[in-house]
Amino acid sequence: MPKIAIDPITRIEGHLRIEAQVDGGQVKDAWASSTMFRGIEIILKNRDPRDAWAFAQRI
Amino acid sequence: MGEASGSIYDSLRKKGVSRRDFMKFCSLMAATLALPVGGAAKIAEALEKAQKPTLVWLEFQDCAGNTESFLRASDPTVAQIVLDLLSVNYHETIMAPAGKQAEKSLADTVKNQKGKYLVVVEGAIPLKDGGVYCTVGGRAAIDIAREVCGNALATIAMGACAWDGGIPAAAPNPTGAVGVKDAVKGITLINLPGCPANVVNLTGTVVHYLTFGSLPLTDSMGRPLFAYGRRIHDDCERRAHYDAGRYVREWGDEGHRKGWCLYQMGCKGPETFKNCPAQRWNQGTSWPVEAGHGCIGCASPHFWDTMTPFYKRLENVPGFGVEATADKFGAGLAAATAAGLIVHRIARAAKKKSSEEEGK
Repeated sequence: MPKIAIDPITRIEGHLRIEAQVDGGQVKDAWASSTMFRGIEIILKNRDPRDAWAFAQRI
Repeated sequence: MGEASGSIYDSLRKKGVSRRDFMKFCSLMAATLALPVGGAAKIAEALEKAQKPTLVWLEFQDCAGNTESFLRASDPTVAQIVLDLLSVNYHETIMAPAGKQAEKSLADTVKNQKGKYLVVVEGAIPLKDGGVYCTVGGRAAIDIAREVCGNALATIAMGACAWDGGIPAAAPNPTGAVGVKDAVKGITLINLPGCPANVVNLTGTVVHYLTFGSLPLTDSMGRPLFAYGRRIHDDCERRAHYDAGRYVREWGDEGHRKGWCLYQMGCKGPETFKNCPAQRWNQGTSWPVEAGHGCIGCASPHFWDTMTPFYKRLENVPGFGVEATADKFGAGLAAATAAGLIVHRIARAAKKKSSEEEGK
């Protein structure tokens, strides 16, 4: 079965990759991956809680 | 996504932008760039002849906030002009093709217009672990940046992340994120820091190039002087309250309701250089300080570490509550002092981090 990958997925906010297993014109299985990581949760640790909104807002 | 054909003005006329609106836009640009009398006419003359420059927009470790800022011109005419000023060949958030077809648009531009196109970079570039923390089409951000920025006429780093790594680079910088200036060396680069950067400053940079054939003058950090040459504190509409010692001391108190100075609430205006008080946001409607919140210093180096906690009052701001000393605070002196303070704050943030790590 051929496997296709669409990366980048456009017209969305963020980075996304879709892989699909195609059999006879039908998608049999598919996988989505977010291809970008920043670690906002790690960065937020040990900071003044009053600043959290500004960090989390940038996700 | 159009083809570059005809002059910018011709294309605007075809889309129904009136001469009056076109001249209003040219005046706005002349004011933004602080050009002398006759600047608007000079810009108009240039845009009547200039072809649209091709632009590709790369998104790496970003939140698309600068894209929002780019598309956020609320006046339809200005939005139209901004989008029409450029022939945008690649921009993941707004382009129709996806996957291989999208990659082809980018590859074709790099190949066919080598050395002639502009690149806007939004977001940081992660270097740790071979760049796996941001990939597009299976390629690491750093590889794409080297190829696309390396073959461009000029690169515009839009926003804090593309400038110095911004939020992904905030301590402990889990992904080894850096800005374009540290990721790709030896390119022509203009930095428009801010979180987000203001579209007026992007447009101003492009219009400057189209009018004068050169990029605007920059400071030692590669930021155009027209946008980052003045301190927020010096142009703030609440400055008179600062000088007179009228401060907001608690959210919602009498001073807050009356629009007094936000310095005691942690405003970073005294250490931040950007044209927010003059250009404002959303077509000049307002800006954070006018809306009642202090400046968070988003155009300053590594502001997520150097300007936090956001609600902690800045230390050692000269001229505190005294009009006479505030006036002694010339622009050059302000720059030197602010740079000194920022260096001090980076050192302090680094020290804080290492002591935290020792405690683990």
